[in-house]
Amino acid sequence: MSEQPPIPRPEQRPLPPAPGAGPRRIVLPPHRQRARRPRSVRVREWVRKNLFASTGGTLLTLIAGGIMAAIVVGVIIFIFFGANWEVITHNRWLLFAGGFPHEEAWRLWVSIAVVFTLIGAAYGTWSSFGRRDHLFVLLVGGFVIFLMAHGGAAIWSTLYFLIAIGCMYLGYAVTVWVPRETSTLRTLQQRLVGGLVGISLPLVLIILLVGGEVGPRHLDGFVLNLILAPVGIVGGIVIGIPLALGRASRLRSISLTCTAYIEIVRGAPLLGWLFVALFILDDVIGGDLIIRAMVVMAVFTGAYMAEYIRGALQALPRGQFEAAQAVGLTEIQRTRLIIMPQALRISIPPMVGQAISIWKDTTLVTVILPLRELKGNADSAIAQFEFTPDRIEAYVFVAVIFWIVAFAMSRISQRVERAQGVGER
Amino acid sequence: MAAQAPAPPSPPGEPTSSDGVPLIYRRGFRRLMQQGIYVGITALVAWYVYDSLDLREFGFGFLDDPAAFKVGNQWLTDIDGVTNNRFTMYLVGVWASLRVVFVAILLSTLVGVLVGVSRLSSNWLVARLAMLYVEIFRNTPLLVQVVLVYAIFLVGAPIIQEVVNIGDFAFISNRGLAIPWPVPDGGLWGVPNWFVGVWVALLIAIGAVAMTVRRTRQHRERETGQPQFANRWALGIFAVGALVTFIILGLPVSIDRPYVEGTRYLEGMVIRPEFAALTIGLTLYTGAFNAEIVRGSIQALPTGQSEAANAIGLSGYQRLTLVILPQALRQMIPSITNQYLNVNKNSSLAYAVLYDDLFRVAGIIQNKAGHALEMFFVIIVTYMLISLVISALMNFINARVTRVGV
Repeated sequence: MSEQPPIPRPEQRPLPPAPGAGPRRIVLPPHRQRARRPRSVRVREWVRKNLFASTGGTLLTLIAGGIMAAIVVGVIIFIFFGANWEVITHNRWLLFAGGFPHEEAWRLWVSIAVVFTLIGAAYGTWSSFGRRDHLFVLLVGGFVIFLMAHGGAAIWSTLYFLIAIGCMYLGYAVTVWVPRETSTLRTLQQRLVGGLVGISLPLVLIILLVGGEVGPRHLDGFVLNLILAPVGIVGGIVIGIPLALGRASRLRSISLTCTAYIEIVRGAPLLGWLFVALFILDDVIGGDLIIRAMVVMAVFTGAYMAEYIRGALQALPRGQFEAAQAVGLTEIQRTRLIIMPQALRISIPPMVGQAISIWKDTTLVTVILPLRELKGNADSAIAQFEFTPDRIEAYVFVAVIFWIVAFAMSRISQRVERAQGVGER
Repeated sequence: MAAQAPAPPSPPGEPTSSDGVPLIYRRGFRRLMQQGIYVGITALVAWYVYDSLDLREFGFGFLDDPAAFKVGNQWLTDIDGVTNNRFTMYLVGVWASLRVVFVAILLSTLVGVLVGVSRLSSNWLVARLAMLYVEIFRNTPLLVQVVLVYAIFLVGAPIIQEVVNIGDFAFISNRGLAIPWPVPDGGLWGVPNWFVGVWVALLIAIGAVAMTVRRTRQHRERETGQPQFANRWALGIFAVGALVTFIILGLPVSIDRPYVEGTRYLEGMVIRPEFAALTIGLTLYTGAFNAEIVRGSIQALPTGQSEAANAIGLSGYQRLTLVILPQALRQMIPSITNQYLNVNKNSSLAYAVLYDDLFRVAGIIQNKAGHALEMFFVIIVTYMLISLVISALMNFINARVTRVGV
């Protein structure tokens, strides 16, 4: 018996690596291990492999390097020598808040501080600042302060801005410092911060618009972009959820009307709907033109959000509906507790894409409405006699500002996706 | 709760009226009530909207009135606004939109494939350059891109008095780029202009013949295994046929060279800065999105495809064009179609650079005649029709590429 080779029992066979575990590192026996090569050799090897792999590769590298060098040199020459940035520094306030009264400027700063604090708190609760985030804050903060330091330094504004950034780190520090060992505390904190984030938009609108000499018509410049986009996004989600459920409904009248709404809204460009806001909605809902633009943004975004949520609903496994039914949940409970949380989580990536799209589309209100957001006020800036040759500078600046926010949105969304476990499980 | 009632047969799970369940707990009744309430509310909202609109002068008759405005940026048409009605001018705008959409779709697809493939290049610099492009153009507003390109043209290009003359052949100024263009001509035998039409018809016929030859040769190649050079034959037949018919018809086309007179370009074809700015803006913006779609579709392919292509000794270019892209195409068509529909809708940004597309002409008509509601109907119907055509074409292509053939 003892001479016989041991028969491997089934449970002793090595398990295949778990699908998410990644490639397993192979550890070589000591006599086959090589010393880690010096850095210069590794760099040289990397360069040869990634840049000069073959004749064609070398040619490609030279061409791409030439283009890259031309772009970098061109941009540097343009920024530091060719461009006249006075059109920006001279019109700082026009671009930022336009017709918002100066004496009410504290409302803007308080709003910014509130939003920054909440961003910090949200980061502290669900994620954490990495080195890249600090770098991003440093770069953007430096950019803003650089703007304010030129052409008649705006000392107080700089100070307020610094305080707002300080608020962000304060919110972050507080949420990180609060003990989160027990799940109850953690849940409590998440509920609290989540609730604050949830009411932040109405809160900011109240701070900006209630009391004093300000009204919706004073929202102007970059501030208007910053208000229009969240209103469009939040309103879009609020409209989109019932629309998606309605389109998926078994009740024919509901699904037909919801489908009609979605398809008609998606059929015309946003400019077309802003045309409606300008000429037609005046008779229907009246009110300030900005309010009508907000309604149109929300109605427009709602149709797109509905489609993403519907896609997520269809992607949910059938078993989720059946299991919810089996444990005896009512239709409303099922939707609220089982279906919607999962569907919303699945639809985060496309909804963020739509949010970025809406952020960029806030520029469109300038095109046919007599509203002036950032791009519109850039037009006003270059309409000034001394700045007419500086069109390119003005538009480049606008593009950079939009890029910063859109880029930050896409990065934050990646964090949210990771925190929510999108794409996992 | 389950229905036990015998006849009449009812759908499974639907309680019938004969068991003892109170009316309000019956599913059919509840659905009816829900729908009733919903329809009631919807009808109320619709009635409110209808009631608050001013519909006393509703009608489309105003489109038949004389236009009395000019529409610029015409190509192949020269329609004045004095003798023509508003609807004709609107159609001129539609034609202008279609041109932009067509060119932008073509170019953005090219850019998308090029950049999308570059993003996956093993060459670090190329991949970085492609990423830079995508990150910049995807995250900035299309409107700003369009006006920026327009501003670069207006500021960067010389005024027409200092026009750049490229060998009397092409001209560049801030009025646009003027290039030679073929126009119908009497030719050798003084034929009327519509002979160009005859030639085009002949070209189509020759093309059909060439395609038939190509198909037969491809078929024979598959049957016999002998190379039959189907593509070369088809191209040859088409080229020779086109040349011969062109000569027989007496060269009915001549090349029109542009020239500058005063502050205007005359003859040739002029690519206006408005058209160029809109098209370039749309191309760059949509190209960035298309690049991401192309990249995603390629990454979704199993790596075995690449490895197999390498194993049978295909070159990098062959691997891409024969193995990777044809398969990635199936995955990317639905998303790309969406982008094409966006191009159609985004072409309305012509308004910002004063290019007379359908939206701007509609805006002008509304400005002159009022009737905003009717004009909006016209606009949305036009956009939907164009979208339908694009979707139909893409569905046709989709059906072709997803059909697995050997």
